[in-house]
Amino acid sequence: MSYELIALLMFSTMMLMLLTGQRVFGAIGFVAVVAALLLWGDRGGYDIGYSALIKLMNWYPMLTLPMFVFMGYVLSESKIADDLYKMFHVWMGGVKGGLAIGTIGLMVLVSAMNGLSVAGMAIGSTIALPELLKRGYDKKMVTGVIQAGSSLGILVPPSVVLVLYAMIARQPVGHLWLAGVGPGLMMAALFIAYIVIRCALNPALGPALPEAERAQVTRAEKMRLLRAGLLPLGIFAVMMVPFVKGWTSLVEASAIGAIAAFIAAVLKGRMTKTVFLTATRNTLGISCMFMWIILAALAFGAVFDGLGAVKAISFLFTEQLGLSPWVILILMQLSFLVMGSFLDDTAMLVIVAPLYVPLVGALGFDLVWYGVLYTITCQIAYMTPPFGYNLFLMRAMAPPEISLKDIYGSIAPFVAVMILALTLTMVFPQIATWLPNYVYQ
Amino acid sequence: APAVLKAQEAIKWRFQTYAGSALGQEVTKPAIDAINAAAQGELEIELYYADQIVPTGELFQALQRGTIDGVHSDDDSMASPTPLRQFGGYFPLATKHALDVPVLFKQYGLAEIWEEEYAKVGVKWLSAAGQDPCNFNTKKEVTSLADLEGLRLYTFPTAGEFLSQFGVVPMNIPYEDAQVAVQTGELDGMAWSGITEDYTVGWADVTDYFLTNNISGAWIGSFFVNQQRWADLPDHLKTIVSSAIEASHTYRNQWYWGGEARLRAQGDKLQLRSIPQEEWKVVEDAAVTFWDEMAEQGEVAAKLVQIFRDYKDVTSKAGPPYTFG
Amino acid sequence: MSFMRGYISWIDGMNRLIGRITMFFLFVLMGILLWSSMSKVFFLPSLWTLEMAQFVMVAYYILGGPYSIQLGSNVRMDLIYSELTDRRKAWMDAFTVFFLIFYLGVMIYGGLASLAYSLGNFMGSPLSFFGKLIAAFVTGGPAAAADVMGYIETSRSSWGPVMWPIKLITCIGLFMMLLQVLSEFFKDLLRLRGEEI
Ligand code: NA
Ligand code: NA
Repeated sequence: MSYELIALLMFSTMMLMLLTGQRVFGAIGFVAVVAALLLWGDRGGYDIGYSALIKLMNWYPMLTLPMFVFMGYVLSESKIADDLYKMFHVWMGGVKGGLAIGTIGLMVLVSAMNGLSVAGMAIGSTIALPELLKRGYDKKMVTGVIQAGSSLGILVPPSVVLVLYAMIARQPVGHLWLAGVGPGLMMAALFIAYIVIRCALNPALGPALPEAERAQVTRAEKMRLLRAGLLPLGIFAVMMVPFVKGWTSLVEASAIGAIAAFIAAVLKGRMTKTVFLTATRNTLGISCMFMWIILAALAFGAVFDGLGAVKAISFLFTEQLGLSPWVILILMQLSFLVMGSFLDDTAMLVIVAPLYVPLVGALGFDLVWYGVLYTITCQIAYMTPPFGYNLFLMRAMAPPEISLKDIYGSIAPFVAVMILALTLTMVFPQIATWLPNYVYQ
Repeated sequence: APAVLKAQEAIKWRFQTYAGSALGQEVTKPAIDAINAAAQGELEIELYYADQIVPTGELFQALQRGTIDGVHSDDDSMASPTPLRQFGGYFPLATKHALDVPVLFKQYGLAEIWEEEYAKVGVKWLSAAGQDPCNFNTKKEVTSLADLEGLRLYTFPTAGEFLSQFGVVPMNIPYEDAQVAVQTGELDGMAWSGITEDYTVGWADVTDYFLTNNISGAWIGSFFVNQQRWADLPDHLKTIVSSAIEASHTYRNQWYWGGEARLRAQGDKLQLRSIPQEEWKVVEDAAVTFWDEMAEQGEVAAKLVQIFRDYKDVTSKAGPPYTFG
Repeated sequence: MSFMRGYISWIDGMNRLIGRITMFFLFVLMGILLWSSMSKVFFLPSLWTLEMAQFVMVAYYILGGPYSIQLGSNVRMDLIYSELTDRRKAWMDAFTVFFLIFYLGVMIYGGLASLAYSLGNFMGSPLSFFGKLIAAFVTGGPAAAADVMGYIETSRSSWGPVMWPIKLITCIGLFMMLLQVLSEFFKDLLRLRGEEI
């Protein structure tokens, strides 16, 4: 059997196994070790799986993962984001669709304080969603707002996805994170523009808060709430400034960020024993989920590599099909989108990115810029059915009046906006590359 | 020649080198390409770069079990389970030029010792060669020994052990991550190679200074093969493998020797700095003590240190170009 | 059946305990990283921090793995799975759990081989090595066991810690994961018999 055929067989078997609903790491790991045993036999076939564990241990930037996850849980469990939400509520409430716009703002701030989209999702669906529904906002639109907004968690720094990408593409995390800022803010602005336009066309989707209710909030109170916005900026600065300045390393910065979030919750009097234990326990759960998937995917990747898949892919795209660099790039993004909508995207990154990234580099593209494109693709993959974390989480957290159909139906316009953002970043790379070039030059 | 060649199943090897893909093009790939071309399909070697199939720390056991069939690396950084471990890579101030290495192996008996020690742990040692010296490339300027204090440098284990007495904090991470680790603040630079490698793999892009003092004049690296796989190889293929590897030493010699001179003289990414020879004498003296300590580790170590001493004695009597003057 | 129930309560209890201890490794990790950044500013950077943090991290997610299964944190692609009835889910799981068991079995064997290497076993099967090691320990004590062992593997760093402790921890963690997965299998069997879990 040719190596190409084995590679294809491995990939399709993995897809099939995943469909059985067994835990993702088990399905991927199984295919990986079986393939390793078939290819290597008793000459070391059994140790490919375990050597992935040593490889993962050497990937020191992964130390940031539990830190950023913990930050997110501290924020969502301790409800220190409540004040942030209120800030947007009183300041934006008067505008048509203002609460939805405020929710996007909230999501940007939450994204600046954690590395995944889980925390944004939890904060959005527990704090923002009930309020929005109570105020008569269209349930489909707001469901979409929260999912789309929370996905910014992986694009706006800090980002676990960009750390993972950085390791695979061997690009500096600082550059990648800063490259995510421009596209992240642009995407948030596009979401807001979409909300403004829709609510202007159909004010029933997002009614402004009545004058009487707004009058209840005093000017002093309004100013006090504005200060709540300083908290995330403070945490962000405590973590990012020493890192970008080179005073602390990446992994140290992540620990400082986690400690800063923890201290903020303590100072606000929100760090109860329950909050502490829940955050600690959930951090273990989510970190384990990621790590075990990456562990299995690394073994899969090593076997794939052993089959010469990297060379095969480059050969296919450049020699056999004779495509131009841009066509190859677009095809890769499309294949990522298709695979990402079916597959777990962490596994995707670890398995597929090592195949694609060398080719992207060889074609002469900037790998920092490509990291941002990749992350936006991940966000879209998160959002789209049949498989998406946002869909899972939304289903688990949303109030009962929001049906699965609402959730699925809510994402289409936001995915369209994300594709627009992806296209803009592709056509105008400066959106991503300007900030890192400015800071690091 | 027979009119009809019997269709034969090609022998396939997986070969992993210590080098990342940029450097591997120069230090390992030429040998592999030559073997593949000369073997005419009877032996096909697939080349993998640093950490690609197995992480470097697991390289040796993977070689023993046959997960990979061949390796290009040094005894020190692959954590060789032999008493030779500290003497491969950069044994502090043991050599001055790349040519010292083949002389030590072929005229002073290192080859026999290497052959014998690796046979004991199930690995076939094929050949060793000298490469580039071990200089420093750093973000901060280094002009005196005091400047080394507190520098976190990517370096070899034994070199790191030696350098820690001068306040260097030796760091160990996967080879391909070193460049980014400088950018993310994990490292202040490297004490890993000569200037050719700095430019080739991109380290010159992230550091600013190159210290011309070296702590060893030539990297001692070897080619290894899984013992059973070597035994299974037909004799004519063994000859092809060995000759191609020997020939590749010549290629590397000129690539490094020319590169070191050209990039020091004309390279525009790293500024040259030096610690005055009088001050560097402290390091040279420290190496003498370090050798004495190493010699106490065991019989083999004592024998090796004696060989290094003997050779040093000969070259210092011979004078330049064997010494620096 | 009572065997299965006993097994489930024992293994789940043990893994829950291990998990609840392991979850605090997070703060050990934080402490090490904080020390690392402080020592860099105030004195000499420490030699051991990054590598130690990596060891703690591996212990964290490997020992915490079984508990994360109990917490239900491990995602599934539930495209089809979520549409199934509970009984069908149990059927499906009772079957596909063998993928997991196989994967973990191979991981454990690879881990034992690597552990044996770290204790100086270069050739031959790791199982017979551990057999010899244990037999020597039982009959002749630590000295005899040391004779069986060879070159003790140390990390490639200048700090150079011995590698066997972390390898042993991961082997234990992988084994506990296997026991946990078996517990999940028994739960599915009980569910298929219509019993309450
Ligand atoms: Na973020
Ligand atoms: Na998806």
